[in-house]
Amino acid sequence: MMDKKRNIRNMSVIAHVDHGKSTLTDSLVSKAGIIASAKAGETRFTDTRKDEQERCITIKSTAISMYFEVEDKDLVFITNPDQREKGEKGFLINLIDSPGHVDFSSEVTAALRVTDGALVVVDCVSGVCVQTETVLRQAIAERIKPVLFMNKMDRALLELQLDPEDLYQTFQRIVENVNVIIATYSDDSGPMGEVRVDPSKGSVGFGSGLHGWAFTLKQFAEMYAEKFKIDVVKLMNRLWGENFFNAKTKKWAKQKEEDNKRSFVMYILDPIYKIFDSIMNFKKEEAANLLQKLGIELKPEDRDKDGKQLLKVVMRTWLPAGEALLQMIAIHLPSPVVAQKYRMEMLYEGPHDDEAAIGIKNCDPNAPLMMYISKMVPTSDKGRFYAFGRVFSGKVSTGMKARIMGPNFVPGKKEDLYEKAIQRTILMMGRYVEAIEDVPSGNICGLVGVDQFLVKTGTITTYKDAHNMRVMKFSVSPVVRVAVEPKNPADLPKLVEGLKRLAKSDPMVQCIIEESGEHIIAGAGELHLEICLKDLEEDHACIPLKKSDPVVSYRETVSAESDQMCLSKSPNKHNRLFMKACPMPDGLAEDIDAGDVNPRDDFKVRARYLAEKYEYDVSEARKIWSFGPDGTGPNLLIDCTKGVQYLNEIKDSVVAGFQWATKEGVLSEENMRGVRFNIYDVTLHSDAIHRGGGQIIPTTRRCLYACILTSSPRLMEPVYLCEIQCPEVAVGGIYGVLNRRRGHVFEEMQVAGTPMFVVKAYLPVNESFGFTADLRSNTGGQAFPQCVFDHWQVLPGDPMEPSSKPYAIVQDTRKRKGLKDGLPDLTQYLDKL
Amino acid sequence: MFFIVGIGLGGVKDITVKGLEVVKSADEVYLENYTSILSVGKESLEEYYGRELKLADREFVEQGCEEMLEKGRNSDVVLLVVGDPFSATTHTDLVLRAKKAGVDTQVIHNASILNAVGCCGLQLYSFGETVSIPFWMDGWSPDSFYDKICHNKERGLHTLCLLDIKVKEPTPESLTKKKKDYLPPLFMSVSDAAEQLMEIVKKRSIETDQQLPVDGETNCVGLARVGSETQQIIYCSLNEMKHKNLGEPLHSLVIIGDLHPLEEEFLALYL
Repeated sequence: MMDKKRNIRNMSVIAHVDHGKSTLTDSLVSKAGIIASAKAGETRFTDTRKDEQERCITIKSTAISMYFEVEDKDLVFITNPDQREKGEKGFLINLIDSPGHVDFSSEVTAALRVTDGALVVVDCVSGVCVQTETVLRQAIAERIKPVLFMNKMDRALLELQLDPEDLYQTFQRIVENVNVIIATYSDDSGPMGEVRVDPSKGSVGFGSGLHGWAFTLKQFAEMYAEKFKIDVVKLMNRLWGENFFNAKTKKWAKQKEEDNKRSFVMYILDPIYKIFDSIMNFKKEEAANLLQKLGIELKPEDRDKDGKQLLKVVMRTWLPAGEALLQMIAIHLPSPVVAQKYRMEMLYEGPHDDEAAIGIKNCDPNAPLMMYISKMVPTSDKGRFYAFGRVFSGKVSTGMKARIMGPNFVPGKKEDLYEKAIQRTILMMGRYVEAIEDVPSGNICGLVGVDQFLVKTGTITTYKDAHNMRVMKFSVSPVVRVAVEPKNPADLPKLVEGLKRLAKSDPMVQCIIEESGEHIIAGAGELHLEICLKDLEEDHACIPLKKSDPVVSYRETVSAESDQMCLSKSPNKHNRLFMKACPMPDGLAEDIDAGDVNPRDDFKVRARYLAEKYEYDVSEARKIWSFGPDGTGPNLLIDCTKGVQYLNEIKDSVVAGFQWATKEGVLSEENMRGVRFNIYDVTLHSDAIHRGGGQIIPTTRRCLYACILTSSPRLMEPVYLCEIQCPEVAVGGIYGVLNRRRGHVFEEMQVAGTPMFVVKAYLPVNESFGFTADLRSNTGGQAFPQCVFDHWQVLPGDPMEPSSKPYAIVQDTRKRKGLKDGLPDLTQYLDKL
Repeated sequence: MFFIVGIGLGGVKDITVKGLEVVKSADEVYLENYTSILSVGKESLEEYYGRELKLADREFVEQGCEEMLEKGRNSDVVLLVVGDPFSATTHTDLVLRAKKAGVDTQVIHNASILNAVGCCGLQLYSFGETVSIPFWMDGWSPDSFYDKICHNKERGLHTLCLLDIKVKEPTPESLTKKKKDYLPPLFMSVSDAAEQLMEIVKKRSIETDQQLPVDGETNCVGLARVGSETQQIIYCSLNEMKHKNLGEPLHSLVIIGDLHPLEEEFLALYL
């Protein structure tokens, strides 16, 4: 089956937290016969961990491969020849269920990378939420085609008792919202073609994952097609939008008139409402009538049920969710053959015409192997991991020798490169794994035996000149950190080993050993850290731990140009550097974060961009030596010198010093952000041996520090975008809590058609610890916040002023890191001519 | 008084009489051991001078010398330098700093490789700019010294190449850390130097069609442990030099310019 690449669909399920992804996924799993259909919606099959089941929240993304057959009458709808193999009914669906909570959105990123399509689930009661937008945006950026599913229709009918026209309006609004987001990040003329979702095309589903029923317009169109003698496709168009039918005159109209009714309401919602009404209000006879009319036959054991139980059975029999979902997936999501054509240029760092690139583009199983490992999945064997990823080209098989390239691999060098045999290839089946001989291009699988060569992600290939597959860009960053130490000091080696495993098992978490010997874990938010710490304690290290209170990472920046030319001399006094620092224009640091300005750009194109958008001098902008920290960060080192001899021989040393200084800023050794450093002049010893790294690297650092100290340094703190849903009465309580925590509300609106309010606010991450609990207690448990890291913001106040808040933070941080109390002394860094 | 005393190249007894007198009467004596080394150890020096010596590494001289200079204000402090004080560049700065601090300074000269290189028969008058050849490290392979050699060669001048020594150098990784790890001592041999030069030649000949002034056929002189009893000198082409082993450090290399008949005659001794 895996060889029939046109009949493969790799897809992820993405949504806001609690919109019902895992529950909906159950319907598909049961359709594939893996769990009983009666249990679907309750099992949460893809939530494999104990804590996931207990909390009813997905933490890790889970993959599952399923086989389905699609009926002939539905196959006709697949028109693109690359979307199905001739004469083959069977489809292989590799589905990844991802977490909805923002703290785990790195898992979503990892899932998106290996899939081509996404099922976007939206709770039709609460509508499009902040995380829906985040994941959808990510999907579009990765060139993943979305289909939409409106979940929790049962709530809309049973709890909110919306009337049909209102419900239609709600649906219509959600579709619009989703399409607006899609349109913002892509347009129809792009390489993916049309990305918008459209109910009349069948790319929007409706239903209830919990009750196990769902439909698209296609199902209803098929039901009525015979009756009306209209073609299914035409009828689907009629069933959505401004189409009204007059039952008396049997005429269609384009607007609402006296006697006519919206077709969607009349033909789709009305029958559903009737069933709900008759069953929930125990009108037995009417119900039996309806069932007969709709041709629903109940099993004998179900006939005695009533109320909700009966409703479930009836709806599930009439409109099985698995069927509708399967059709949406098979018809509307792209096969690897289709998707890889336009995804290759996004995925591959190397030239777009080498063997590897062509192999990916054509999804060719006979080309050299190219596989991207997107995450590590723990095995039952403690400390070992399956490397989970997608084969984009070629074939990966048990026992084959391959090149394993980590993210730091550079073609032609040996760093981060291993040549090892792959011990086994396996299929991931939710809770189980299955060994398999080989896996051809277009599939998702796991590998055994490469985990010790990769930290989190990497590229596996057999092509000697292959470049890396592009690393994933996460939408969140690890801004909250805790320090851990073992309760029993003798357990330290276990802790170190455990941290290594933790770093592997989570795509986002950072485990850092400070030079003071402190072990730091950095994560996206409180919940993320809580889960990481629990995993560390219970699974990875298996020792009792002492944890510090969570603290926030800060960034160091400047607010003005250096007030003097900063000179630093090398230890041997023969080399002199002259530099200045200045703040970057607003938006440039964010552009660098987003990768719109990055070190791999062509320098001329980049210079033009910087000149047009930020009014940088073109000739200077062409001479950007480096981005830092880590070679990609939001600080720039620019060569503004004129005609200095041997300058290129010290460039590497200066860049190394720049990386060091931007990683550990002068105030409190936090990363720098948004600083541009200009090198104005350099005096060098004439002999190479007296201007080596040992002389230049420390000097560069001192000079950069002097630059910062003379340009009004500032601290930046991370800020969450916080979205809170609550009933109107609770809004006041929210304001109170936010005010106390330096938050500020920038948007407040009512969710149309519901009594719920949505409040959007910016909240400093530092003030967010315990925010959820505080909010609950102040609103009687009625408000639920979702916090996503949004931006960095300058903390008002001069950190050099002992009475200011930034000063206190700097001192705290210095103390924690074991640095000297007080402020750094400029004379240590600045030399006199 | 702060003294900087050159102790020559060969062995313990190369120190001048004046220098020895200063060492014997001084209050404190430091031995600078990073710009060059003697073929004999610190212990033999201590034995001959009949007093204790303190080692001064690069960090001490470049960054921690204030303390040493301060002592020189009221007592006699000596810094021993292998060769001559002013042939190793860093010490000009030391004298400057002593001047600024108002500490009296006296320099006692000695032989240096810069003049002792005459032992191979090449006239010191026809040497051009001196260059150093540093060890290449990953990502740092400067080659501007090659241009200087070529420049000398084009003008018919010889080039003395001082070869890199690494004594207590921080590792490249720890350069950007606060805690320093140090590399094991490392000394460049003439064959290492010839090899790096040939690599540059290879690179340059791809870039240009013109005949390079210095290539594998260019003759050179390899010198080892000049001034000591085990001194060794070899005269051959750069290509051949790649395979010569001159034994223990320190080594130096001379790239030949135009030869005077007398020089030719002399060099023939080392063929």
